Amino acid sequence: MFYLDIIKRALRNLLSSKARTILTALAIAVGTFALTLTLGASNGAQDYAQNIVKTNFDPSELFVSKDSGLFKSQDASTPQLYDPSYGSVTTFGGQTRQIKMLDNSDIQKLAQIKGVSWAQPSINVSLQYLTRDDSNKYIGTLTTYNPYQNPTLLAGKIPSQLQDNTLILPEGYLSALGFLNAQSAINQTVKLSVLNQGASNIIPGATKSQVSNFKIIAVYKTPNTAISAATSLNLYASLGSVENLNNFIYQGTSNYQKYLEAVVKVTDGTNATKLNDVENLIKAQGYGVQSVVDTEKTITQIISVIEGIVTVFGIIAIIASVFGVVNTMYISVLQRTREIGLMKALGMHRKDISRLFRIEAGLIGLLGGLIGSILAIIGGTALNPVISSKLGLGDSKLLIFKFSQVGLLIIALIIIGIIAGLLPARKAAHLDPIEALRTE
Amino acid sequence: MNKMIEVKNLTKIYGKKDNKFTALNDVSLKIKSNSTVSIIGKSGSGKSTLMHIMSGLDEPTSGSVVIADKNIFEMSERKIDSFRANEMSFVFQSFFIEANATCLQNVMLPLEIARVSITKRKKLALDALRAVELEDKANVKAGTLSGGQKQRLAVARAIVNKPSILFADEPTGNLDSVTGDKIMNLIFSLNKKLGCTVILVTHDNDLAKQTDMRIRLKDGKIESIDEGKK
Ligand SMILES: Nc1ncnc2c1ncn2[C@@H]1O[C@H](COP(=O)(O)OP(=O)(O)O)[C@@H](O)[C@H]1O
Ligand SMILES: [Mg+2]
Repeated sequence: MFYLDIIKRALRNLLSSKARTILTALAIAVGTFALTLTLGASNGAQDYAQNIVKTNFDPSELFVSKDSGLFKSQDASTPQLYDPSYGSVTTFGGQTRQIKMLDNSDIQKLAQIKGVSWAQPSINVSLQYLTRDDSNKYIGTLTTYNPYQNPTLLAGKIPSQLQDNTLILPEGYLSALGFLNAQSAINQTVKLSVLNQGASNIIPGATKSQVSNFKIIAVYKTPNTAISAATSLNLYASLGSVENLNNFIYQGTSNYQKYLEAVVKVTDGTNATKLNDVENLIKAQGYGVQSVVDTEKTITQIISVIEGIVTVFGIIAIIASVFGVVNTMYISVLQRTREIGLMKALGMHRKDISRLFRIEAGLIGLLGGLIGSILAIIGGTALNPVISSKLGLGDSKLLIFKFSQVGLLIIALIIIGIIAGLLPARKAAHLDPIEALRTE
Repeated sequence: MNKMIEVKNLTKIYGKKDNKFTALNDVSLKIKSNSTVSIIGKSGSGKSTLMHIMSGLDEPTSGSVVIADKNIFEMSERKIDSFRANEMSFVFQSFFIEANATCLQNVMLPLEIARVSITKRKKLALDALRAVELEDKANVKAGTLSGGQKQRLAVARAIVNKPSILFADEPTGNLDSVTGDKIMNLIFSLNKKLGCTVILVTHDNDLAKQTDMRIRLKDGKIESIDEGKK
């Protein structure tokens, strides 16, 4: 028999017992549905992660630490030996550690490395509070403005060279500080207060704080790709201003002008080899280095693990449905002994009979795959806007379906169907035609 | 081509040891090509068993079947299959048609198996349907036909590949006598038109009288062979 004739015959057989075919295919469809959604969700998550990294970090920048172990996971089960040459004890990533800090000489050293365009400390200043004369006091974080972030502005303008004591305010502070709208905040002054840690350490109870005036020059829109809700409330100022406040806080402590991390901008750093060269040069000097690509890898690794777990469940569901196919095909062989006997009597080869049943099983796999994936894609596409708004993903989609992936999944299901059909097909091929034709 | 069939010392034993049953016992006979032959005997005498072995559907315990100078049991399984697809066909007592398929599809099955090109198939199948006067039912589901029509359809399927040998196992057993006669007349006329050997299994003596040769079986042994129409 020609292959095409066998396929036509297989289709006709499946169509003549529609209910059974569809029910068997539905079992496969359930697993496929789950797997298609999982794949879609992990695509979406990868995409979202990449998006976050891309909008928040400059890929041509490197994060550098004095402590080469900072970016690696540390064994936290045994206590770390005290080393007086290190900075103070800190809790970092939930671990109590002594971490080597960078100082200004390190920053200068980094800036002089070949291929480095500039190096600056990465500083987050925890404000004691910020306020206007007539409003409540609010806590906040001030960090260095990086032009790469290029936030969407609601009002004002950011000059290429940011002046000291000017401030870029996040949208979230507007009403708290009593502004009616973004425009009305421009050129207004807010007071930023920082608290010295040295003084309170030496004389218990004594506090020494400094209040400085900052002029609001721009208001930025809350980004929907913020790393966390907290960072969407970051206040931005020039490096000089941030350093001033930071120096005041740590004056008189062992952490004065000491930094956990520095940011190093690589000339032409979007070129992977140039970035890598500088990364290696920095490493050679004993520093710890992490690139944006590394950060992205860490995030996507976590996603991959979750994806792997859900995929395993989907595969288990499909394996379970394979037994349904085996069962259906066995029943089909038993019910069709006469047909098989007739085909054998008319000279159909054993191999072709076996092939007929394998193709039928493969077609059930195909049907299940199509039903499951199409339902998942339709449902997912319909639900995408709802999920995005619930999770606050903005324009990002949680479920992204790739046709190449779904296509591969369906091909895999056809193969699984064929495998499920192997034993029933073998039984059909070895059926004794005399016995089959005797059934009366 | 001379498609003479020669059966030599055929023995078929079912079961083992205590359960042994000899269905055919040292059967030898020769069938001339293009003749009509009937195998007669009581139920259980081994008629169907003989027919199955002659067509290569079943294997004998010992003995041989030589068709056109070839012992079919020395051929590979593939060869026997192809031989059956191209040179033999069958009509059974209980029709064995595919109820869910159309009449045309039923008749085309032997052509599909014999790998006849798609373009030729439809024409050949329609010719066969015309020969049994079922042309108008070509696109009707076979399950909806009456008993006599079903057997005519089975006959159309049996002649579509222009076989050299047509095996018919009690083809009228499930039909009333008028319809049965019509089917037999059809088969005999096809023997004349196509020149194929017809081997008819029956327990109807009147029907057997119309064939060129009668082989009478009793308990798996040949009781008598006589030739010439009566
Ligand atoms: N597979 C089998 N196992 C055991 N006995 C069988 C088998 N097939 C047929 N027989 C026996 O062989 C004898 C001949 O059967 P069969 O050729 O069908 O007879 P007929 O067609 O003349 O009625 C019967 O008695 C039957 O019971
Ligand atoms: Mg019989």
